[in-house]
Amino acid sequence: MTAAAALQVTGLARAFGGLKAIDNVTFTVPDGSLTAVIGPNGAGKTTVFNLVTNLFRPDAGEILFYGTSLIGRSPEEIASLGLIRTFQTARVFPGMTVLENALAGAHLKVHSGLFQQMLWLPSARREERLLTAEADQLLDLVGLSGFRNAAGTDLPMGGQKLLEVVRALMAHPRLLLLDEPAAGLNDTETEDLAELLSAVRAAGITVIVVEHNMSLVMSISDQVVVLDAGAIAASGSPAEIQKDARVIAAYVGHGTVAV
Amino acid sequence: MNQLIQIVINGLLQDGIVFAIVALGFSLVFRVTGVINLAQGAFCVLGALLMHTFQVKLGLPIPVALPIAAIVTAAVGLALGAGCFVPALGKLPNSSVLMLTTGLLTLIEGAILIGWGSEPYQLPPYSGFAPVQILGIRVSTQGFWILGTVVVIIVGLWYLLARTSVGMALRACAENRLAAQLMGIDVRRMTLLSFALAALIGGVGGIVVAPITSLQFDAGHFFTNFGFIAVAIGGIGSFVGSVVGGFVIGISKQLAAGYVSSLFANALALGLLLVVLIWRPHGFFASGPARRQDVRDEQRVYRAIVHLRGRGGLAFGLALLALALALPWFLPPGGLLSSLVITGILYISVLGLDVLMGHAGQVSLGQAAFMAIGGYTAAILATHYGLPPLVGIAAGIVLSLIAALVLSLVTMRLRGHYLALATLAFGLLVDSLAVGMMDTTGGPSGLIGIPSFSIGSFAFSTSTSMYYLVLAVVVVLVLALMGAMNSGFGRALKAVRTDQTAAAALGVNVPRYKLMAAAISSVLASLSGSLYAFYFHFLSPEMVSTPRSFEMIAMLVVGGEGTLIGPLFGVALLTLLPTIFQPFKEYLTLAVGAMLVASFLWLPEGLFGTAAIWTARLARRLRRQRKAAS
Repeated sequence: MTAAAALQVTGLARAFGGLKAIDNVTFTVPDGSLTAVIGPNGAGKTTVFNLVTNLFRPDAGEILFYGTSLIGRSPEEIASLGLIRTFQTARVFPGMTVLENALAGAHLKVHSGLFQQMLWLPSARREERLLTAEADQLLDLVGLSGFRNAAGTDLPMGGQKLLEVVRALMAHPRLLLLDEPAAGLNDTETEDLAELLSAVRAAGITVIVVEHNMSLVMSISDQVVVLDAGAIAASGSPAEIQKDARVIAAYVGHGTVAV
Repeated sequence: MNQLIQIVINGLLQDGIVFAIVALGFSLVFRVTGVINLAQGAFCVLGALLMHTFQVKLGLPIPVALPIAAIVTAAVGLALGAGCFVPALGKLPNSSVLMLTTGLLTLIEGAILIGWGSEPYQLPPYSGFAPVQILGIRVSTQGFWILGTVVVIIVGLWYLLARTSVGMALRACAENRLAAQLMGIDVRRMTLLSFALAALIGGVGGIVVAPITSLQFDAGHFFTNFGFIAVAIGGIGSFVGSVVGGFVIGISKQLAAGYVSSLFANALALGLLLVVLIWRPHGFFASGPARRQDVRDEQRVYRAIVHLRGRGGLAFGLALLALALALPWFLPPGGLLSSLVITGILYISVLGLDVLMGHAGQVSLGQAAFMAIGGYTAAILATHYGLPPLVGIAAGIVLSLIAALVLSLVTMRLRGHYLALATLAFGLLVDSLAVGMMDTTGGPSGLIGIPSFSIGSFAFSTSTSMYYLVLAVVVVLVLALMGAMNSGFGRALKAVRTDQTAAAALGVNVPRYKLMAAAISSVLASLSGSLYAFYFHFLSPEMVSTPRSFEMIAMLVVGGEGTLIGPLFGVALLTLLPTIFQPFKEYLTLAVGAMLVASFLWLPEGLFGTAAIWTARLARRLRRQRKAAS
């Protein structure tokens, strides 16, 4: 076997009460790829993300991140390994500007300690300037640079979702989990997002994206994983998935499949 | 055996039942709103003093005076609820509403101080002074009246909630306010009803216990504190728990007084609470909706961002510094200069609170306790052992850090109001230790003969020298904190304040940052307390007790949370006003409460924050006009 996969999920299961939200889910995300996870509402897509980032503990299964098990690690530990996620409902920090929100993503990249910051040491100031420059560049890429000093929560929903992606990128993740980044975005914003995502891929960052916007999914992803009722219904290249009868069944309905 | 039973009965009647009544009021309002109304204790005092006016002053018979006093209390509750509490619920996060109710508590106490003065009042018992003997145990006849009242209140509450449609609406609000609203329930009215009803219960409770205890204007704090502890032991929101918690805390307080020492009675009761909180973090009868209030993560947090940076900020800072440097030349030595020194010293402590509450969003009702630790440690080491002040300050800081660390570790599991409560309990514990350890602290009358602050052989014995010392310390601290708050550390704190899950997902170690904020806050409070003792040459428990913690919260909020500079204006306003207008002193308590409430409702960014926002807006408009002109 060559280099370890970015993410290898094996036999993942989690039940809430009697409901099996996720049952025996297995998939592999190769390093450097862009994988889309699709499926109808309630299929368990966000639950997979929450299990991977350990917001909930899985009942069974193994999650390997570049060969390292994530089971039982705290969310901040998982982040420090290089796995950064966004949330389905944008969770921009209230009371912080757009720029500050973006900079908050660079938390793990801040190397100066409390006392260096308190003493205004040149090294700490330089670090701030470099991070600010990087944040400005990313904000510019998604068209938010004009709002850098506005409150993050004053942005429209689409802007907040883009800001959250920028914030995640500021952490320089090895693997980026995006939970429905295009939901709530208008057409121009979706284009901004697509542009951002190709920049991300060019930078060699592995991405998993949960998305409903099919044209976006089909145009950007290398691999598509289809979840239905908590289990993997299909997986393959976008072209294969588009033809797969089970996918059509999951989306259109079981009784109406007429091939 | 008889003595034990006697103590238990006294504990029940004297303290237990009032605590239970206050706790019931807490639970009622909490059930409907998810917020503890800390003003509850003040309604007891208000009811009792109104009763005194109607019964003793105006000579009305008890059956007439009692309903009038109770209804007036409820009406005051209704007015405060409609004017302050309900509007606040609509636009502030729960933790801020909790802070606002500390303002309501202070406000009512201030009003009582103006109306009735500071002397204690006692009412005549309803059926004579002679106690009855039952099996050799003496019970005052008023005890039966009190017991009867509690039974009536509990049965009435149960009937209202379980058997009437209004009760069902109240319960619906408790379960899910939004859903209740969508079902056509007027949530605002129900909230108001619960608030006024709680005031009524509190008022009646105060009225019936007034004959066996004496009440003065600030007894509301006492009732609120112990009622809060009772409700925490029982489980916030549980009616059974409230009553049981009240009884337990009242009886254990009397037992401690009877068998150990009345000076340590409160300390032992608070120790009991901390044990209960560690053992059962949600009380014994946990019920009601589980909501998180430990951080301000509700969507209602929607405050503008205050930044005064760039050239404007620098110019403002330099102007402020120049003014501060020049002030002593324009002022006559004496009152005003001395108040400025006190302003600076208190500002150091409030800066700490701004890091902890304003930036990290952690509610703290015990900031003054760290002032007490720093103040007493430095003062005792200097007075009794002749150690240099700097050593005393350092020792105080070390002790405060240890206390903050232990408190943080103990409270790490606690959430919401239990966390606020733990800080309050810690503050009360330090209060009662300061009073109880007579030999070292001088007890209630205070510690005298504290030397001036000195470095080597240079003593800062004049107000002017102390002024410049404090100014230098403040400038260094503000610059250091600005450096940290505008860098990675401050951003992590602000992230923790509003969304712990998202912060953790970005790699922020949430407990570590909470701990560091608490540590910074306690160090600054400790330093402030030490300087306070050296400047006054005297330290007494009430100079650094829980009301001081509440006052510092008011200073922080009035000045502007999360702005570092803003709190200076809050501290200055509340410290200098009574010096400049002597007659104002009597109204100070009322003003502190009113300003805190008003700030929360109408100036959530505080004086400084609002001024900064207006300045920024004005600058933008000018720039636009200039651009349009050219």
